[in-house]
Amino acid sequence: MTERSAGTIAARAGGVPALGRRGGGKRRRGPSAYATLVALVALAAVMLIPFAVVLLNAVKTPEDYSANGPLAPPERVSFEAITGFWERVGFGQVLLNSALISGSVAVLAVLLSVLNAYALGIGRIKGRMWVLAVLLLANTLPQESLVYPLYYLSKQVGLYDTRLSVIIVFTVIQSAFGTYLLSSVLGAFPRPLLEAARIDGAGRWRVLWQVVVPVIRPTLAVLAVFFFVWTWNEFLIPLVFLVGNDNQTVSVALGVLQGQRLMDATMSSAASLLGLLPTVVFFLIFQRTLSRGLTAGAVK
Amino acid sequence: MIKARRGAALTAALAAGSLALTALAACGGGGESDPNELRLWHYESPDSAMGVAWNQAIKEFERTHPGVKVKFEEKGFEQIQKTAPMVLNSKDAPDVMEYNKGNATAGLLSKQGLLEDMTAEVAKRGWDKLLAPNIQVTSKYDARGTMGGDKWFGVPNYAEYLVVYYNKDLFERHDVKVPTTYPELLAAMDAFVAKGVTPFANAGAEYMAQQFIYQLALDRANPAWVDAYQRYTVKANLTDPAWTYAATTFADWVKKGYIARSSVGGKAEDAGSAFMRGDYPMMFSGSWWFGRVAKTVRFDWDTFVWPGSKLTLGSGGNLWVIPKGSKNKKLAYDFIDITMKKQIQNALGNAGGIPVAADPQAITDPRTKRLVENFDSLSRNSGLAYYPDWPVPAFYDKWVAAGQKIMNGSGSPASILGEVQRAYDDGVPK
Amino acid sequence: MTATTWRRDRLGYLPYLVPGLALFTGVIGVPFAMNVAVSLTEWDGVGTPAWAALANYRELAGDGEFWSSFRNNVLVIVAMAIVPTGIGLVLAALLTDLVDRHFGPRPASVLRACLYLPQVLPVVIAGVVWSWLLDPDDGAVNAVLGAVGLDALAHDWLGDPATALWTVMVVMVWVQIGFPLVVFMSGLQRVDPSLYEAAEIDGASWARRFRHVTVPQIRPEIFVVLLWTTIAALKVFGPIYVLTKGGPGGATNVPSYYSYQNFFDKTDVGYGAAISTVLTLIIVALTVVFLRAQNAAEPEPS
Repeated sequence: MTERSAGTIAARAGGVPALGRRGGGKRRRGPSAYATLVALVALAAVMLIPFAVVLLNAVKTPEDYSANGPLAPPERVSFEAITGFWERVGFGQVLLNSALISGSVAVLAVLLSVLNAYALGIGRIKGRMWVLAVLLLANTLPQESLVYPLYYLSKQVGLYDTRLSVIIVFTVIQSAFGTYLLSSVLGAFPRPLLEAARIDGAGRWRVLWQVVVPVIRPTLAVLAVFFFVWTWNEFLIPLVFLVGNDNQTVSVALGVLQGQRLMDATMSSAASLLGLLPTVVFFLIFQRTLSRGLTAGAVK
Repeated sequence: MIKARRGAALTAALAAGSLALTALAACGGGGESDPNELRLWHYESPDSAMGVAWNQAIKEFERTHPGVKVKFEEKGFEQIQKTAPMVLNSKDAPDVMEYNKGNATAGLLSKQGLLEDMTAEVAKRGWDKLLAPNIQVTSKYDARGTMGGDKWFGVPNYAEYLVVYYNKDLFERHDVKVPTTYPELLAAMDAFVAKGVTPFANAGAEYMAQQFIYQLALDRANPAWVDAYQRYTVKANLTDPAWTYAATTFADWVKKGYIARSSVGGKAEDAGSAFMRGDYPMMFSGSWWFGRVAKTVRFDWDTFVWPGSKLTLGSGGNLWVIPKGSKNKKLAYDFIDITMKKQIQNALGNAGGIPVAADPQAITDPRTKRLVENFDSLSRNSGLAYYPDWPVPAFYDKWVAAGQKIMNGSGSPASILGEVQRAYDDGVPK
Repeated sequence: MTATTWRRDRLGYLPYLVPGLALFTGVIGVPFAMNVAVSLTEWDGVGTPAWAALANYRELAGDGEFWSSFRNNVLVIVAMAIVPTGIGLVLAALLTDLVDRHFGPRPASVLRACLYLPQVLPVVIAGVVWSWLLDPDDGAVNAVLGAVGLDALAHDWLGDPATALWTVMVVMVWVQIGFPLVVFMSGLQRVDPSLYEAAEIDGASWARRFRHVTVPQIRPEIFVVLLWTTIAALKVFGPIYVLTKGGPGGATNVPSYYSYQNFFDKTDVGYGAAISTVLTLIIVALTVVFLRAQNAAEPEPS
C-alpha cells in the first residue's frame, strides 16, 4: 500500500484531512452545500415521523389512547405497556430466539454468499449466469409455496419446531441476494490484484481470504446488516415452523397482540419498539464498519 | 498483511461461533407428552372476559387434579388460524385448545379428521343440556364439515352477538330520543344528521360495514333464509329482495350521512376508539367490545339489540377442541367440564362476557345483566344468524370489497351482489 | 495464461459452489419440485392430494382477477423498484460526494441511518401507523395540508379507489429508499476519491461528476438493486395486506396477495401452488433477461 492510499483510508475513517487530498483543511462549503444539507435533514426527519408515532403510543396508557387518539402526545408517560408486553410473551426468551436466528443467518449467509460469488464472479465458471439464475430461485419463489413442502421435509428429519430449521431455511434464502450482489461486484474485481497474489504463489483459498475479502469488506458488512434485519422481520416461516412458545421470534410474538377483532394499540406500539431496538443497535454497530474499509485505490 | 490475517481470524471465529450457536438452536424441538401435564392453548388476551375466566379455570383444575400442571401457552389468533392443520398433524399438538367456530375453521378441521369426536362425552357429562339449541349449531358438524351436523367437535364457554352501543350523553345533548323501534332509529339518525353529527361509527376496511349490510338483509329474512345461506340447505340467492334491500339501503345511508363516507378505508380499531372517545353516538358491533368500552368510556352508555328485527348477528363463541393427537384426553374433558361449571361461567359474565350457562342472578353489573338477558331471549327464540363471511372460505375479503364498492357507489347494488354471489357459488361445498 | 491452464483453473473453482448448491437443492429445489407436483392436484393441506393434471392451470388461465392484479403490479414495480433506485442513487451520491466531503463522515452516517430506518420497522406496524397518518378525519397528513392552507387537497387517501394505489405506492417508496441507499453508498466506498478530485479540478459540476464518475463506478450495484427491487415488487405482500387488503374493491390487489389467499384463507393449496408456480416462472424469465443484459453491459476482464 502506498502512503497516499493509507492516508486516504485514514481520511475516510476519521474525517481527518489527508495530505495532498484536501489541500489542508476542509473544503469551502458553499451555500448550495448548506442548502442540500438542510434539505437532506428535512427528508430524514420526515422519514422518522412514523417512528415518533410508535414511540408516542408505546408510552401511553390505554385510556389515554382511547381518549385522545393515536396521534396525540401522551398525557403522561407510562411504561406499563412495555413492561406488560414483556411479561406477557416472555420477551426475554423471544429476543434471544430472534437474535440467535438472525445472527446465525447473517453470518452463515454471508459466508455462503462469499463462497458462491467467488466461484461465479472471479472463477467465472462456465454457465455461471444459469447457476446464478438457479440460485436466485431461492428468493424469487413466493414463500407460501415453500411452506407445505418444507413442513413435510422438516417433519421427516425431525427438525419441525426447532430454530435450526429456520436458520437453515433463511441462510439459503438470504444467500441468494448475497450471491447475486457479490458475484456482480467480484465480476468487476481488479484483475491485477489477483494476478499479483497468484504470482506470489498463493492458492485460490488464500487469495479469497487474504486479497478478495478485505477489499469487499464494506459490502460484506452491508450484507450482514441486511440479512439480520430481513430475517428479524420475517413472519411467515417462523410462524409455521416454530410451534412452542419457547421458540417464538419477535415478529411472531407481535402477532399475539393482533386478535381476530381487537388490536391493542398501545401494547402493539410498545412491542414494536422493543422489537425495533435490537435491529437499530445492530445497524448502528455495523455502520462503523461500513465507513471504514480498504478502497480499491489500494491497487495504486 | 497483519490486518488481513486479523480479518481472516475474526471471520473464522465468527463462523465457528455461529455454528456453535446453530447447534444450540437445534434443541428446542417437539413436544413430549407427560401424563402430569395438560397442554393448553388459547388466544384471548389475559384481561378479556375469557382470559380472566380461563385463568380461574386453570387454577381450579390444578386444585382438583393434584400433581397435574397446566402448561398454558398464549398464541396469536393468526398463528392458530394458519398453522392449525399443520400443527395438529404433528406430535406438537396440544391437549386442548381454543379454535374458531364455523365451517371454514372447525368444520374444515373436523372434516380432515384432526379433531376428536366429543359426542359421547358431551352426552355423558350433560353439556348438551346446558347449551341452547341455537348455540349448539356451531359445535356440531357433519361429514362435509358443515355446522349444524350430528357430531360434537367443540364446546363453547361463551357466546357473542351484535348490539348497538350508544352514548347516552350525546343523545341528551342533542335532544334525541333513544330508539326502541326501527322507525324511531331512522328518526334518531335524521335528528343527529340535522345537528351535524354522524350517527354511526363504521369501518369500511374491516368487518363493520358487511355486518350492517347483513343486518339490514336479516330485517327482511327468516330462519330458513339463514339456514340456506349458512348451511346450504337450499341454494341461496344473494340477489334476492332481502339482499337487494340491504345493499340499496346501506348505500342510501351513506348518501344520507348516517354513515360517514370517509369511513370506507377505516379499521375497526379506529372506529371503536372513535366511539369510545365520544365522536359518534352509536356503534353497531359485537359484544367483544363490551369489556373494553366499560373500562374506557368517560360517558354514560348502554346497549340495545338492533330494533325491530327478530334476527341479528351472533353465535356461540369460540370452541374448546381436542386434537385427535392429544395424549391427555380425559384431562382435557375434565378441564372443559370445569369451564362449564357455574362458578367459572359466572366469573365470565361478571368480567364482561356472555356466558352460556351462568346463573342469571349471579351477574351483578346492570349493563352486563342487560347484555346477557337480551342475548338469552334472542337465543331462546332462535334469533342468532351467525356472520356474513362464514359460508365460504376467504369470503371475508369479498364482503369487505363489496361493502367498499357499495359505499363508494362503484357499481349498482345488483352487480356488486352478483360478484359476491359468484364467490359464494365457487366456494360452497359441492 | 494459456487456454488449458485457464480452463483447469476455472474448474478448480467448482468446489466453492458445493455447499451453496447442496443446501439449495434441499431447501429450495426439492420443495419447488414438490410445489409443482402439488399444483397438479386438488388438495386442502391435509390427507392425500387428488390428481387433477392441468385443471388448476386451465382455471388460472381464465382467472380475470389474477391477470388484472398484474396490472396493479406494474405500478408497484415503479413504486418499489424504479423510483427508490433513482432516489437512492441521487441520495447516495449526495451523501458521499457532498456531505461526506464537505461536512465529514459523521453527518453522512447519521443521515444514512435515518433514511434506512424505515426498512427496519416491521411492515405490520408501519402499515398501522401509516393508516393513522392517512386517516381522512384525524390523520396527520390531512391536518398538515389544512395547516398550510391546502385544505382542498385533503382526501380519503386509502378509501378512494382513485387514490388508494398511489397512496400505497408512496408508502412503499418510504419503506424502500433505505435499501438502494445503503447498497449504493457501500459501493461508492470503492470509488477512488482521486477520480472525483480530478473531475472537480477539471471544472465538472456535481451533476456531471454524478453522471461520469459515480454511475459508471457502481454499475454492478445498480443492476443488482434494480433487479432485486423488481423481484420484491412482484412478490410484494406485506404493505398491501396491512394497508388495504387488496381493496378498496380490489383496486390494490396484487398476484402474491391472491396466491396467499388461496394457500391459507381458502386452503385451496393446489390452486395456490399453481399461482405461485406461474408467478415464479414469470420472475425467472424476467431474471434471465435481466442477467443477460447485465452480462452484456459488464466489461470483460482483460
